[in-house]
Amino acid sequence: MNHILYTKGLTKEYKRFQKEAGLKGSFRALFHRTYETKAALSDFDLKVEEGEFLGLIGPNGAGKTTLVKMLTGIIAPTSGEISVLGFYPNKLENAFKKQYAVVMGQKSQLIYEMTAADTFLLFKEMYDIPTEVYRRNLELFADLFDSREYLNAQVRTLSLGERMKMELITSLLHNPRVLFLDEPTIGLDAPAQRQIREFLKEVNTRNGTTILLTSHYMEDIRNLCPRSVVLKEGRKAYDGGTEELFASFQTHKKITVCYEEESPFILPQGCEILEQNGHKAVFLCPKERSGSILAQLMREIRLLDVSVEEEDISVVVEKIYRSHREVRA
Amino acid sequence: MRRNLRLIHLLIKYKFSRMMAFRVSFFGAFLSDGALFLIQLLTFEAVYSQVDSIGGWSRGHMILFVGTFSMINALNMLIYFFGIVDLPGKIRRGDLDQYLTKPMNPLLRLTFENVNPGSFPLVILSVLILCYGLSVAGIRVSLGLILGYASLVLLMTLLWYDLELILRTIPFLVISADGIMRLEEQMLQFSFKVPGVLYKGIMRLLFYFILPYGIMSTVPTQFITRSLEAGSLWAAVATVLFFTWFALWFWRFGLRKYQSASS
Repeated sequence: MNHILYTKGLTKEYKRFQKEAGLKGSFRALFHRTYETKAALSDFDLKVEEGEFLGLIGPNGAGKTTLVKMLTGIIAPTSGEISVLGFYPNKLENAFKKQYAVVMGQKSQLIYEMTAADTFLLFKEMYDIPTEVYRRNLELFADLFDSREYLNAQVRTLSLGERMKMELITSLLHNPRVLFLDEPTIGLDAPAQRQIREFLKEVNTRNGTTILLTSHYMEDIRNLCPRSVVLKEGRKAYDGGTEELFASFQTHKKITVCYEEESPFILPQGCEILEQNGHKAVFLCPKERSGSILAQLMREIRLLDVSVEEEDISVVVEKIYRSHREVRA
Repeated sequence: MRRNLRLIHLLIKYKFSRMMAFRVSFFGAFLSDGALFLIQLLTFEAVYSQVDSIGGWSRGHMILFVGTFSMINALNMLIYFFGIVDLPGKIRRGDLDQYLTKPMNPLLRLTFENVNPGSFPLVILSVLILCYGLSVAGIRVSLGLILGYASLVLLMTLLWYDLELILRTIPFLVISADGIMRLEEQMLQFSFKVPGVLYKGIMRLLFYFILPYGIMSTVPTQFITRSLEAGSLWAAVATVLFFTWFALWFWRFGLRKYQSASS
């Protein structure tokens, strides 16, 4: 099978200059330089098929951004094989660059002092986008985002959310086959995040654009990416279904019970209390025992209200990041 | 080629639009750069008004030398200086990422995206100094002389670009090149105050071929005063060609070493 993205044994190492603190250390370093080699990514294999929506997750410094930078050709790998759309990315050929787009949440490609529409026109020229395609795409994306009113406003006057929408429109005008998104929802409020998620889902479904998304917001990953790759300390720790990943770590249910004050609440065995006062208790219980524990509580105390929720997603993510076990699918 | 010219045209148009978005800055640039020129002119006048001949160069030669410096400096500021001056910062901050991922030569974009129309009065005023220098030196000009001189000025502007690019590419390889930038500033100040004809021996080798700041203003001045020997002309052209090749090679070499910046 032909893969649109392919890496094998991909490794990126950096040399870091080391120096003892203080003037003495600086003086010594003048004559005796020592370096430490740090692997940002090690022996990384990946195969992505056209049209996939892949989530890339991992704690800070796990190697996510390094991987995106190698896939887009910004930096060269130290060793290993890499192919994107059949190209070696770091050769930086225009024919390659015209087929992908990259949006970095913390780096803008818009011209700040001008309107978003001005940036679109510059991109139209850079990517040689035929006028008809340009107009059609601009209308489509502006409608999807309901953002016509922002197109002619100076970029610097736009809010963060509006600016990100303009970034996404800019990067999709030339119909890229692959879209790399590095933290596109960083710093955005919940409605803007939701709008961007819906937009990306539409782009993936409608245009068949392959999307590789890195995000610290697990709602992004869970909502958009059927497949996820977890990176830890520069190595692949998991590659498989996103739901399976969460299911394997979402081992507990969060149960909240409200009861009459005279009923004494006794924490069931094997559970962990999160919060308790005179008439309310919140606790975690093993997922597979939640039914029997609820039944037991109903028998023992007079309940006024009960709610059962999935374990907090942030807790699950922490578990994934901290886990030492290999969860490779 | 046509595509690149179209993109350069667009970048220049955008720069004008950006400047016009801030009306005060647009006119302010003309005023501030014009004032800068006047200060330069007064400084050079103060230094050279009492000197009739240095190293065989008359006062007219010296005014032409100053005018030539002013013109190369004005073209540098007008076309590319503000585009590539922050290249070390862009390398350090990882801002080059946005240039590398777009289907346009990143160097071309960097070079032309910040043209500075505010420097245009400097070009006009440099022409005025040159006219004054020609009259003081009593030189009769012909079309051939003007075209030859203009070609050499453009060639030397390219040489200055090469040297600026080479120095600003060094941060691809080392953490900071601030010291080298300061050295460049000193070399430029020195070279544009002292005509290359005054250099002898090792200094001549250094300022003509190794760090060829010495030929930039000297060679076009020698040409327009009809004192440039054919051998020196070809040596200057060869120097520019070599440094242009080296600057482009070094840029590509640096790009391969680019590590971006952690997010």
